[in-house]
Amino acid sequence: MSSHSLSSQRKRVSFLFALPALALVSAFLGIPIIQAGYFSFTQWDGLTAVWKGFSTYSHVLHNPIFWRVLENNGLLFIGIPVAMLFPMGIAFLLNEKVRGWKTFRTIFFLPTAVSWVVIGMVSLRFFAQEGALNGLLKGFGFGFIKTDLLSSEKGALFAVALTFIWSMVGTNTIIFLAGMATLDISLNEAARMDGASNFRIFRSITLPQLKRFIQFSFIITVISAFTALFSLIFVMTGGGPGFGTTTLEFFIFQSAFSRGDFGTGAMLGVILFFIMAILGIGQLAIMRSKDD
Amino acid sequence: MKRREISIFFTMTLLAVVMLYPFIFMINTAFKSNEQYLGAPGHSIASWKKLFTALPVGRQLLNSTLVCIGAILIILCVSTMAGFALSKLRSKFSVLFFLGIVGAMLIPLQSIIIPAYINASKLNLLTGYWGAIFIYAALGTPFATFLMTSYFRGLPDELIEAAICDGLSYRKVFTKIALPLGIPAIVTVVVLQFIQIWDDLLVGLLFIQDPNYRTITVGLGALSAGRTTSIPVLMAGSLISAIPAVTVYLIFQRQLVNGLTAGMSK
Repeated sequence: MSSHSLSSQRKRVSFLFALPALALVSAFLGIPIIQAGYFSFTQWDGLTAVWKGFSTYSHVLHNPIFWRVLENNGLLFIGIPVAMLFPMGIAFLLNEKVRGWKTFRTIFFLPTAVSWVVIGMVSLRFFAQEGALNGLLKGFGFGFIKTDLLSSEKGALFAVALTFIWSMVGTNTIIFLAGMATLDISLNEAARMDGASNFRIFRSITLPQLKRFIQFSFIITVISAFTALFSLIFVMTGGGPGFGTTTLEFFIFQSAFSRGDFGTGAMLGVILFFIMAILGIGQLAIMRSKDD
Repeated sequence: MKRREISIFFTMTLLAVVMLYPFIFMINTAFKSNEQYLGAPGHSIASWKKLFTALPVGRQLLNSTLVCIGAILIILCVSTMAGFALSKLRSKFSVLFFLGIVGAMLIPLQSIIIPAYINASKLNLLTGYWGAIFIYAALGTPFATFLMTSYFRGLPDELIEAAICDGLSYRKVFTKIALPLGIPAIVTVVVLQFIQIWDDLLVGLLFIQDPNYRTITVGLGALSAGRTTSIPVLMAGSLISAIPAVTVYLIFQRQLVNGLTAGMSK
């Protein structure tokens, strides 16, 4: 009897304790994502929504600007392996634990605490015509190359991508460093005894052990590239020149808050949601199949 | 072996300069007048004086602090309770709930921001701090709950059961036993959220409509977008806005790293 009432009390308390979190997340994330799904089929100015059905989607799929924006996301995606491999190299070097490595680790991770707004402002001046990049080129005797990345569409995207890669160094280095702490060194020695080359050891022994960390780093990097660069783009380029640095997340903001087209904004949000879901599921599937 | 160490050290030093570049640039530029920035020699504090007329720095630092405190308090309340329920008071319902919470982590902010903005405007939440506080709280809660759940899972069940047998209510077990033991995870949540909210632009830009309530990061973003403020003044503002989050990072570095890697230790 008493154990029964205890267990029913337990259930009730469990529900009551979880309720506030559930209510908060439902009200401000759950309901809006469902609303976004509904409004994506409408023409909506924020006040009145007119149902348009699937024509809203076919309309945007025929819009060249939409594809231009997706191309920017694609180009940014190419930067992701760089944003992962570079920190992996740094983590390997840090893992040698030379003198002062902890200080270096602190310094490399430091930009993680700095706002994209601040990073964007500095980066803007770095890539500017009279900025540090051209100063550096001149200093190393390449004065004849005078870059002006931010004035061209592809150049500006390249500058944004470089800033993004730079800012991922801290997070990804920490992830890989955590991974390297879990490596089993004795496997390397055994393989070396059997005559395996360094490259072979890295590919067949080290990489498989780091799989979980590579996976995590990939997810974090993709999420950052596609959903966290708003402030950087806002401060550095405002999406321009032209649509040169307008990624999907920035396009959502522009559609809704610059042009007042909330319906299209909501629809682009739904598309972004599905892109992220597909990337997430896709990388899980790839990693799984490699297990077999 | 010795030469190898020296070359690694040298590479690391070079990288450190690259990673510290924004700070070097900010400090160097903030202590220049506009003329000095454009080439004249020397340093001065002229730009700092101009900053305080261009940007209500004190007020905006206060705004940032209040928004952070409000959102973090809400996140802590709901995530510690939910984490306790999901790890120590498990029922059929809790599995479903946990999946829902993890699912919510996958929703990009941009996918919900338009309906959320319209809802907040209809509920009159855009006039003060509350719109931003609630959105930040909702965005931070899923990961915080995930973190608290995995942390509480590590507490021995016998501890909870023994306390219940001794006649403690679940509420008392939570406040007297679970919460004090959960402090390391709570610190991680606070540090992670503080840096995230302090540094954010988008939510603050949209959900705080009255310029008097703007956070420092939003104020700076707006000032920069105006393209009329001189660069040394912007850099002085950037430096001020970056100091609190960087200080928190330097003090609580370990907790931040723990929070980051907790995502993997499923």
